[in-house]
Amino acid sequence: MKGKNLRNKITDSQIYKSVFRHTYTDTKENRTLQIKSNVFLHLHPVKIPSHAMKIRFTWCMGGITFFMFLVEVITGILLMFYYRPVPEYVYLDMKYLEFDVPFGIILRNLHRWAAHLMLVTIMLHMLRVFLTGSYKPPREFNWVIGVVLLVTTFLLSFTGYLLPWDQLAYWAITVGTNMIRAAPVIGHEGPFALLNKYNDVRFMILGGTEIGANALLRFYVLHIMALPAAAIIFMAVHFWRIRKDGGISRPL
Amino acid sequence: MTEKKKHLVWPDLAFMEFLTAIALTIILIVWGLLANAPLLEIASPTRSENPSKAPWYFVGLQELLVYFDPWIAGVMIPAIIILCLMVIPYIDRDPHGSGEYTFSLRKLAIINFIFGFLMWLILIFIGYFLRGPNWQLYLPWESWEKVKELEENLWSLNPEIGLISLIIYFGLGMMMPKLIKKDFYKKCGFVRYVIIMLSILLMYFVPVKIFLRLVFNIKYVLVTPWFNI
Amino acid sequence: MTTDINKTGISRRSLLQIAGWGSLLVTFGITIGSILRFLYPRVLFEKPSTFNIGFPDEFKTDGSTSHRVYENWKEEQSVWVVKERNRIYAIHAKCTHLGCTPNWFAEEGIFKCPCHGSQFRGNGVNFAGPAPRPLDRFKLSIGKDGMIIVDKSRVYTFKEFEKPEAYVEV
Repeated sequence: MKGKNLRNKITDSQIYKSVFRHTYTDTKENRTLQIKSNVFLHLHPVKIPSHAMKIRFTWCMGGITFFMFLVEVITGILLMFYYRPVPEYVYLDMKYLEFDVPFGIILRNLHRWAAHLMLVTIMLHMLRVFLTGSYKPPREFNWVIGVVLLVTTFLLSFTGYLLPWDQLAYWAITVGTNMIRAAPVIGHEGPFALLNKYNDVRFMILGGTEIGANALLRFYVLHIMALPAAAIIFMAVHFWRIRKDGGISRPL
Repeated sequence: MTEKKKHLVWPDLAFMEFLTAIALTIILIVWGLLANAPLLEIASPTRSENPSKAPWYFVGLQELLVYFDPWIAGVMIPAIIILCLMVIPYIDRDPHGSGEYTFSLRKLAIINFIFGFLMWLILIFIGYFLRGPNWQLYLPWESWEKVKELEENLWSLNPEIGLISLIIYFGLGMMMPKLIKKDFYKKCGFVRYVIIMLSILLMYFVPVKIFLRLVFNIKYVLVTPWFNI
Repeated sequence: MTTDINKTGISRRSLLQIAGWGSLLVTFGITIGSILRFLYPRVLFEKPSTFNIGFPDEFKTDGSTSHRVYENWKEEQSVWVVKERNRIYAIHAKCTHLGCTPNWFAEEGIFKCPCHGSQFRGNGVNFAGPAPRPLDRFKLSIGKDGMIIVDKSRVYTFKEFEKPEAYVEV
């Protein structure tokens, strides 16, 4: 009896009512309101066709990719507290995270494995969208945005790969960025090269001729600011357009 | 469209999403407890790792470095892949199979897409699991201790022959569907037809070149003073 | 005013429109340009590009091989100094394929790149693997004190190996 009174007191208070606009009694109206009055949930329509509930149809890959992004954001922000992107400190910070910081290693593991999983699921999401022909009119442009998000995800993972500053990271990024030297016209070793190694596009990305302090800082800034911002913006457009372009894919 | 049965998002879909999120969290935490993210020695610019592998999702491109010069494998191929992916909705004007799984109505599109997708995955598999020191082929049960030496006698086609064979490959490829299936060209229109056929021919050029290299030891199909293909 | 319009064919409104959009575009272009320039730092905190390697007569071939490779500067500078019969030159320890650091195998007398298996003879000329050209060389000169100076800012590719600055005659 007492508990119920307390509960009523809370749910009747002005503070509670200002946050939660409706009750949770299971009525049809409340089920609708729950979606409509919540900024996050109203990503969804109130009703969806039954086939969109089936894993067999959607594979749930887009949603999982988004969930992985959220995991990356949360673990990434926490990891930043102990990480200094300076060659003198960075490897020490990695060891510190791994051996001294409580739960540091599990956070790093989560960040790493979720990133790998995100790449797998985003590729499978693209495959599913292709197989269901969901890029056909009126959804053409959302497919293009999806490709942009795919590239952004690859770049996010690639820039993050350098940050541990170990041999694996250093040489993987060396092999990767050296390919840019061979870019036609704008790379200094490609066909029809116009520039030298001090002003070609690789120099612009690395901020030097070799992978050093500038490259580490640039990859870090891209990894934690520029690319996530781009990803969030394009994701917003991507999700919004699903609904504007005819909802979840189905035969039109 | 006939109105089919509908589900409420709250609680049906939201509940499923909630369960998925919980399941994934458990999977990730277990994975994170069982396996540590790799951390090797500190980066050292003067000591190369052997082999130095790119991140796994780019290993497919690195594997292509065996068969192509860096400007093709590392720059042109990824750029062309991204562009081709982006134009897909504008070149595939076939209204069939929008929003449903169907193979019979979209054979051409699905075969080509799956081919490219599988090629990407297979190249990653070979590069990640089957390449050892010096980027030599090591089967999973072979020890990396055993040194494998490169024994290759590669040769390149004459520039004239190379140019002619490239013209034949792309020229015939371009003409083929036009001759066999006349209505395909008509349905697409000129620009769309050229883009479709060019991207398909470019995609199949990759396995063709790999085949030529592995079977006939051909290093370059076309040698020019500026670049080699 | 109306006669003006007929002369030029541009109304006042469209002229203003062109001016307005034009100045916006120019500002935008300048902004992009300066951001691009911003990404190219003026000063690089990389290692100094020149260093001494000692007197020419300190380098000797031991008779059994035609090339002797000195590894003393590989760790610090990514440079091998090679003594040929009557020449000394400085090879850049960086594979011409994708920039990995090759290793010197003295018994076999070859450089091998660990990344994609390119192999080079003692003089840096490639003979196996995907490397497109021999290992690059650096500019050499004799300083006032008679010691050899390596200048890493000037790179010679194989077409320029016969240039007089690419080696030191002994």
